[in-house]
Amino acid sequence: MMKKVRKDELIVPVTFIVFSILCFFLSGISFLFLAEQVALRFIRNIILVLALIFPIMAGMGLNFAVVIGTMITQACFIIVLNFNIMGGRGAALVLLISLAAAAGVGYVIGRLLNKVRGREMVTSIVVGFLANYIYQLIFVAGFGTVIHVFNKKLVLSTGIGVKNMVDLKTFKEVFDNLGVFRIGKAKISMLLLVMIIVCGFFVFYLMHTPLGQRIKAVGMSEEKAANIGIDTDRVRIIVIVLSTVFAALGQFVYLQNIGSLNVYTEHLDTEKFACAALLAGGASIRKAGVKNAFIGVVLLHTLFVLSPLAGRNAFANASLGEYFRSFVAYGIIAFALVVNLRLEQKGEK
Amino acid sequence: MGEYVLEVRNLEKYYGQNKVLDKVNLSIKKGQIYGLIGANGSGKSTLMNILFGNSVISGTGGYSGDVIFEGERTRFRSTTEAIGRGIGMIYQEFMLIPEMTVAENIKLTRENTKSIFGKASGSMLSFVDKRKDNEDAARVLEQLGFQIDNSYLVKNISVNAKQFVEIAREVNKEDLKLLLLDEPTAVLGDEDAGKLIKVLKELAKKGTSVLFCSHRLHEICQVCDHVTVLRDGQVISDYTKDELDMHTLARDMIGYDVAAVKKEHLNREKKEILKFQDFSVYMPGEYLDGLNLDVYQGEILGLTSLSGHGKLAVGYGVMGQFPVRGELLHGSAAMEVKNVRRTIEQGIFLLPDDRKNMGLLLEHSVRDNIIFSGFYGRNLFQKKMGGIFPVKDKKEIERYVEEQIEKLEIKCESADQKVKELSGGNQQKVCIARAVLVAPKVLFVMEPTRGVDIGAKEKILDMLVQINREQGTTIVVASSELEELKRISDRIAVFCEGKLSQILPPDASDEEFAFAFTGEEEEDGQ
Repeated sequence: MMKKVRKDELIVPVTFIVFSILCFFLSGISFLFLAEQVALRFIRNIILVLALIFPIMAGMGLNFAVVIGTMITQACFIIVLNFNIMGGRGAALVLLISLAAAAGVGYVIGRLLNKVRGREMVTSIVVGFLANYIYQLIFVAGFGTVIHVFNKKLVLSTGIGVKNMVDLKTFKEVFDNLGVFRIGKAKISMLLLVMIIVCGFFVFYLMHTPLGQRIKAVGMSEEKAANIGIDTDRVRIIVIVLSTVFAALGQFVYLQNIGSLNVYTEHLDTEKFACAALLAGGASIRKAGVKNAFIGVVLLHTLFVLSPLAGRNAFANASLGEYFRSFVAYGIIAFALVVNLRLEQKGEK
Repeated sequence: MGEYVLEVRNLEKYYGQNKVLDKVNLSIKKGQIYGLIGANGSGKSTLMNILFGNSVISGTGGYSGDVIFEGERTRFRSTTEAIGRGIGMIYQEFMLIPEMTVAENIKLTRENTKSIFGKASGSMLSFVDKRKDNEDAARVLEQLGFQIDNSYLVKNISVNAKQFVEIAREVNKEDLKLLLLDEPTAVLGDEDAGKLIKVLKELAKKGTSVLFCSHRLHEICQVCDHVTVLRDGQVISDYTKDELDMHTLARDMIGYDVAAVKKEHLNREKKEILKFQDFSVYMPGEYLDGLNLDVYQGEILGLTSLSGHGKLAVGYGVMGQFPVRGELLHGSAAMEVKNVRRTIEQGIFLLPDDRKNMGLLLEHSVRDNIIFSGFYGRNLFQKKMGGIFPVKDKKEIERYVEEQIEKLEIKCESADQKVKELSGGNQQKVCIARAVLVAPKVLFVMEPTRGVDIGAKEKILDMLVQINREQGTTIVVASSELEELKRISDRIAVFCEGKLSQILPPDASDEEFAFAFTGEEEEDGQ
């Protein structure tokens, strides 16, 4: 019985691997190029995906509100740049402020999600939308009007509103000069890698502490957990705080690695791609682990690198590639959710 | 005063308008096994929930009266608080996490930890010491005399094993002062129940007090030092160990005010209208197991049992609300219960016990509710406009609704009043008026008088008898109010633990009913 369920859980990852192999041959690129691209994307995205694990463990489903964590980090970057604090000092400051702010905001979201039990996924999506517009309002209209501009390079020539693209090279350099090694042409910062390993270990470790046991218990049955004497509200808030903080950290690593910030679009869809990655790694909306995150990110981004090229070659049309990529991302979420649902129904019988 | 672990004084609790606990007083000594018995709705569970700080209580307006724990007046706001003070509870429906192992469940919230970072052990952020947890769990289970592998997931173990895991979890608590048990032996066989009782006695010897709630009277008599009988939220009687007697307990529990009014019994020829053959219903919280029963045309059949023992599952099973297994014959043809529309067309109709959620359109008027089933299901009150288009016959509806309101004495401002504004009794009358309109052949009625005041109760019962007599409707009433069933039924089927225990005539003695309720063998007591 147990063995059979495990096999079922492999459906999504195996589909992925098969699809990736197919695309690899269609795309006709070298394996080294693929490895280099996937490694880069892995580093950029993995922490964000880890951020999703806690809420799933606590039975709150996919936390689409992680997008708020990413916006906080972006805002912190802009604010720190506005005060002309550059280099390592600036990066450290961004990290500090964004994590603190994420914890605070996470607490508020946690309180909110406690009020909408059972509807966490939808609520977090809507909260994400709302936060997006507040964010836009601040940086489109607030900068140069309410907020004083110290760094003229940030704003548009009219003096109001942050530019679309903000350069973060000053921060990127810090990491690029600390223990870098290469895969193909891609530079991998040891510092970032260490951060990722620490995060991965932290999630794994946390799941094996009494707090982790409580989180799991709440996730499996909130009512029972409450009757055993677990303060479920508190556990759920802790979970969302952790998730938001991880999201902020994840976006920090991401932007650090890219070296520039698309102020108004960078955070869009990040949460959906993160969810897709986790699901691709064989997680369900009820069960997810560090393992799922690592496998999923590799699988998803392998396909992401390959699919536009494969699409271009297969249909002899360059523009089809991008559509193909989006189709893959949303297709996975839909496919994984359906498979999950079916497994769950099976489990009940 | 110091000798009492727990004292309850003048405890009162309302759910909405219903008083479920009425000036309840209890005192439990240290190391005492205190029995609490009572039929469905007597307030046992409510009492336990109050003592354990369950959020259900504060969510429904709290309670009045005093709970004195270890000589100190307390008011637990959460189960966490109650557990912190040394109270444990074993639930009838297990509070175990199915996806965790036996050991994990036993040690949940009290895990052993290794302190890697030199933090104090027991911290929320230290690493769980699985081996030590397993050893602990194994030791407790051995102490209970129950053999099971610690590493099994709880979802894969048997029901009685679950019960033992739950008990192990509570017993493993070091400073357990008071243990509350809600029907712990309901799922256990005699042998396992014996083991449990032994454990309870040992616990009591060590100084833990036990509040033991059960409907298995012989167990109560066997272990309890003191027994309190609750009925309708009131303490009916108190007995010490020497005074215990199963017959008195049974009578106190069910109550023996036999009502004077009875339906006259007609001798009809026995023609089956519904035939249940090995009929099982899987309804959450209520389970019907392999029912074989004939329902005769034109009778009023009462179904009764303690709560959760199967009386409600019959009707809901017939109406296809829950998964069923087995055969149901209507006349001589097999019925497909999943096809609810067809069932209703065949003249089978159900008035649910959960009126607010299942039986009524709360936001709609009294009028709409009365005519709903007839209008949409039976195409009544339709006239042809211009000879072609069917429209509502408003005049006819008005006449009928007014007539019903008068006849059933539905207390409402007008037929336009929203149903949600009516009292429970009047809501039930609306339900009945609706059922009358469709003139069903078989009418299932669930708990028709629950949450209904005494005056309305009479009217409702009277109506049921009237429908039966005048329209020849076969009525199957599921109710926990035995007195009422006795007054209106031709036969009463008693269920126990999902099985048909006995079919008794309404004039059977209270003892017979009490034994049928508890599933005890007659010779046990006689």
